[in-house]
Amino acid sequence: MTQMVAEAVRQASVNFMDTVAMLLPRILITASVVAVGWVIAWALKWAVRWILIWSRFNHGCERIGVSAVLKTADLPPADHLVSLIVFWLVWVGFLLSGVDVLGFTALEGMVRSFALFVPRLLVAIVILVLGVVCANFAWRATLIAAVNARVPSPRVVSGCVRALVLILAGAMALDQIALARTIVLTAFAIAFGAVMLGLAIAFGVGGGGIARRILDHWFPEHPPTEQEEFRHL
Amino acid sequence: MADESLLSDDLLRQLMATGHVDILVGVPTLNNASTVVDVVRMAQRGIAKYFPRARALIFNADSGSDDGTPALVRDATTDDTGTVSASRPLRTTNRITTPYHGLPGKSSAMRVIFAVADLLSADAVVTLDPNVTSVTPEWIPALAGPVRDGNADLVAPRYPRTATDGPLVTQLVRPLVRAAYGWTLSEPLMGEFGCSSRFATHCLDLPSLGAGTTSDAVDLWMAAEALVKGFRPAQAALGLRLLGPGRKRPALPDVFQQVMDAVCACLELHDGYWLGRGAAEAVPCFGTLNGAAEPGPRPDVTAMAEAFARDVAALHPVLQTILTEPTLAGVTAAAATPARLVYDDDLWAATVFEFLLAYHRAVMTREHVTQTLLPLYLGRTAAFLMQHASSDPASVDAAFESLCLAFERAKPSAAALWTKA
Repeated sequence: MTQMVAEAVRQASVNFMDTVAMLLPRILITASVVAVGWVIAWALKWAVRWILIWSRFNHGCERIGVSAVLKTADLPPADHLVSLIVFWLVWVGFLLSGVDVLGFTALEGMVRSFALFVPRLLVAIVILVLGVVCANFAWRATLIAAVNARVPSPRVVSGCVRALVLILAGAMALDQIALARTIVLTAFAIAFGAVMLGLAIAFGVGGGGIARRILDHWFPEHPPTEQEEFRHL
Repeated sequence: MADESLLSDDLLRQLMATGHVDILVGVPTLNNASTVVDVVRMAQRGIAKYFPRARALIFNADSGSDDGTPALVRDATTDDTGTVSASRPLRTTNRITTPYHGLPGKSSAMRVIFAVADLLSADAVVTLDPNVTSVTPEWIPALAGPVRDGNADLVAPRYPRTATDGPLVTQLVRPLVRAAYGWTLSEPLMGEFGCSSRFATHCLDLPSLGAGTTSDAVDLWMAAEALVKGFRPAQAALGLRLLGPGRKRPALPDVFQQVMDAVCACLELHDGYWLGRGAAEAVPCFGTLNGAAEPGPRPDVTAMAEAFARDVAALHPVLQTILTEPTLAGVTAAAATPARLVYDDDLWAATVFEFLLAYHRAVMTREHVTQTLLPLYLGRTAAFLMQHASSDPASVDAAFESLCLAFERAKPSAAALWTKA
């Protein structure tokens, strides 16, 4: 009996040693891949940041309004953010490659999935950035035009325009990365429809007077008065 | 040299029959039937009375009127009041009217007029606005005389201005152009002008005549071109400038956009010249301004001031990207008391130059920069009218001069920032 137990323990320890002997090199390789990956990701992060600083990337982001949005969202400056994204994408890529070396069946598909996910994520980021740029442009154009056309509450009007463009871009970005696609699409359709219906009712029924004033302003029945004939040139 | 492809065969035949002229009066038209006949008559009277020995041509370049303007110009008799008999010309004043090819607009019309002047070797070219109802025969010698006498290459007009008359010129274009280019030109957006054939030929040789932004405000571009290229400028006191009903005028935002685009485009184009200019040199003025300017319709200044307060609050996030902190603080403080609105000269000059720098640096779409200035311009105009609407002409002129000097004081720092941008 004792001998059987001793044999089992010996066998278990042999198996354990075999497993350790088999896994140790893989763990070392994984650790090396992760460490080298971290160094490469870190180097790339600084290279990208340096290139962005050199090319005055932040200045461009300020001009198109991206910096203002990042500041509002309490995010780091644009060049820092881009370099961080590069760092994490590269390091997570190495990390998953390292994990793949371990040969765990459950983790085998992760690298492939990640490789497929990265392009979609990048496209989603581009969509978001373009959305922010378009939203800011539309906001400013609407605000200035509304002020010069004497439209009531120009900031509310322009804010709504910006929010709509941002929501549209956000929904497109989420759809791109296929994150809860059905929920996102359904929620977007319901929210968009509700907002539009609400605005239409508010403008047409609740704000009938304002609607009339705006339409009168755009399509005057009477010719311009002498007051309006004040000549600026 | 004139590009003869601008001129049709039929027109060339008429021009060859006319031969050399001493004075060419150009009238660019587009649906000006209600006013153009009087303009042509006044031009004819002016030539007959003041240049009876001169060979003259009244040339109408029409942009495609559909109200019979060319026929009216062609058939316009000198007049039926007997004035001609008292000053009969020794030569016939020819009249040619022609449609021109290309984009409609004053710029294209000017190109044709200059081509004709070049072809006929005109000594002096006078251009009249067909929509002006206050043209007198005296405008012809006033605009052509300094050129014919060899005293000037470009004669810009001068009109008596009240506080309410043409604030876009008196509050913005005049002081800005004067401070930047360093010449005391009162009316940079010359409605009428006279020029030498040398200047006409120079303009004709430039591809920028009628191209790009300059096509919208060709008069300003020509004035700036004359100043920059060393053509001798002069001014002629013309008296009141009243516009007829004519065609529907564009809305203020469109006019403002057009003028500001042209001013900014000219300053971009000529920065090699104006950045080095110092205090403004006087442009000689021939004649004296007479006739009190009519006050014209008065705007509702209180409503303008209240709108200014609302607009500054609404545009605050946009203004933050254009104006420096002290200037924005000044504008905001001014807008805080619309009932006693004070937008002083130095603050206004700083505002305009900072907008100009924002345009130059393209901190946002350039259209947005110029459009954002409109509410501030209306605020400044309201403030000026609150202070000077009832002032006597001398006080108003002094206020105009004071504003120009404020722009001159603000220019050096703006010029330094312009070169750094």
